[in-house]
Amino acid sequence: MPAIADRADVYLERFNDALARAAAEPTWLLERRKRAMERFLQLGVPSLKHEEYKYTDLSALADGQLLFATRPGSAEAALPSYVAGGASDAGPQVLGRVPQGARVQSLAEALRAEPDLVQRHLATIADYEDHALCAVNTAFFSDAVVIQAERGAVLDEPIQLVFGDGPQGSLPRVLIVAGRNSSVQVVETYAGSGAYWRNAVTEIHAEENARVDHYRAQVESLDAYHTGRLQASQQRDSYVSSFSISFGAAVARNDIGTRLNGSGCECSLDGLYAVRGDQLVDHHTSIDHAMPHCNSHQLYKGVLDDRARGVFNGKIFVRPDAQKTDAVQSNKNLLLSDQSEVNTKPQLEIDANDVRCTHGATIGQLDSEAAFYLQSRGIGANRARNLLTYAFAADALERIKVAQLKEHFESLLLNRFASQES
Amino acid sequence: MLQIRNLHVSIDGQKILRGIDLDVQPGTVHAVMGPNGSGKSTLASVLAGRDGYEIEQGSVTYNGQDLLDMDPEIRAREGVFLAFQYPVEVPGVTTMYFMREAVNAVRKHRGEEELSAGEFLKLAREKIGPLGMEADMLKRAINEGFSGGEKKRSEIFQMAMLEPRLAVLDETDSGLDIDALKIVADGVNSLRSAERSFVVITHYQRLLNYIVPDYVHVLSEGRIELSGDKDLALELESRGYGWINDDVVPQAVAGV
Repeated sequence: MPAIADRADVYLERFNDALARAAAEPTWLLERRKRAMERFLQLGVPSLKHEEYKYTDLSALADGQLLFATRPGSAEAALPSYVAGGASDAGPQVLGRVPQGARVQSLAEALRAEPDLVQRHLATIADYEDHALCAVNTAFFSDAVVIQAERGAVLDEPIQLVFGDGPQGSLPRVLIVAGRNSSVQVVETYAGSGAYWRNAVTEIHAEENARVDHYRAQVESLDAYHTGRLQASQQRDSYVSSFSISFGAAVARNDIGTRLNGSGCECSLDGLYAVRGDQLVDHHTSIDHAMPHCNSHQLYKGVLDDRARGVFNGKIFVRPDAQKTDAVQSNKNLLLSDQSEVNTKPQLEIDANDVRCTHGATIGQLDSEAAFYLQSRGIGANRARNLLTYAFAADALERIKVAQLKEHFESLLLNRFASQES
Repeated sequence: MLQIRNLHVSIDGQKILRGIDLDVQPGTVHAVMGPNGSGKSTLASVLAGRDGYEIEQGSVTYNGQDLLDMDPEIRAREGVFLAFQYPVEVPGVTTMYFMREAVNAVRKHRGEEELSAGEFLKLAREKIGPLGMEADMLKRAINEGFSGGEKKRSEIFQMAMLEPRLAVLDETDSGLDIDALKIVADGVNSLRSAERSFVVITHYQRLLNYIVPDYVHVLSEGRIELSGDKDLALELESRGYGWINDDVVPQAVAGV
């Protein structure tokens, strides 16, 4: 692939710098980084010809300039109210106190304190062999946030990570390890200003009967590219939920997946995207039912205005052993303009016979009967439409259990859709 | 208050109303009865301003204004209320938010002060109690997961909050058990006043035992074939609708 090799010069150059910076890291990690770089050079930044990226043009990322020559600008103004004033530049950007029973460490701290645990999980959950963007992150990330919930610890407060213009900059990396019977909530917020590319990877390992509620709030600059990967690995009877909020960025691509490695697992992958102007938001989800008696739920909702475009691709694999799988997938879109568009595609591969898998996708306009109902009570036509749009979107937020996060995005939606008088 | 003159309405080219004449004076209750498909719900929808109906002929005057020329929200602000036959579920909007918005839109239109959250809540609690509903209902999304009876009571609650001048009840009784029916009727009766008028559309006479009408009209094939007082409803109950077209010479302008 000569085209990629030419354009990969800057990646190669930077990789030597990255290795020099990472010289103190253990050999296993350096080996993983080198392998990731090797794979990236072979794969290149995916083009529109790549089946998984056919609606999402990432050609601006191919030469690496946006990653290495720019950085996310300060996001003070853009920071959601629930994090405002709390972001810190030093170390992992953790807000508030870390709840009892949890540890939040930098990569260096975690490597000192728990080298085996880090080695077992870091860069082993999110595949970089066939995933070029994950390979870039793995090769280049300078620091990581390592979150551990101790065995049996039930954390009553969410751990909040903010990725603005801090030291992890363009390449955030998070590892969450939830010990047996533990329960942890993590909120990741991505915000910045200016034009940049942020390429984030989060890995989750949920031990037996652990519960992880993960939220990612992407409110990047409207000139930014955001690519994010969340991959979980679940042991038996564990529960992982993911909620992806995608409001920002010119182009946002999220790959969110989980592997259900034990029986009795459950997962919910949900999301809400609200885009306008020329924004594009792309979610690819993947749920791998490897073992029997596991449930998965997915609800993604989208509101698209102006010329905005949405992509949803939901893969569900049901392996031969995964009998009694119950998988439900739904993607609902509301188009507010004639020029907005959505491409939605469920992709089910079922190799077991005693399973229930359902999927549904809707792309539509507002319910005119509901609009009339509101109007018939004295509410103006525009206002009624705005309220219904708000309601459609806010309904998805009901799945968020962190109150301040939910309230923030509710009020954001209210401002966007329901504040206009009429 | 309301004058309907020679109203002809069609949907998708199909004629539904074929010359309706009806006068509603302030403070009166008019029952409109008729078999299925006679045009009762179309009449209600046209009065409220629902899309999709073609007015072919005739006029509707409401307090001296051309009602058909007003947008649905303006009709509502001017005091027209439609209790829906099938109230719509609106996930994501609480009844509280919805009603406060609606009440304030109406108040603003009337040149009255908007209600604060506290004032609104107080008023809502007053109105909801007699309907046998908990104030918790206000926090639920509009009609979402409501039983049939709850939906109808919610319509009456909304009517009580908006204090309309002309309320059109479209088969508010259908599907209600006798207890719910009494609650709904009590709600309506408590709103009866010298200024407020009701058009009660129903298929069954039963409701009219509880909401006693001043006039009863029988709608058949898009026309008011017969008008009378409350005894007409009883006659319809015992004889059915079948005899209307055959035996009786249609009367002229009904009501007054």
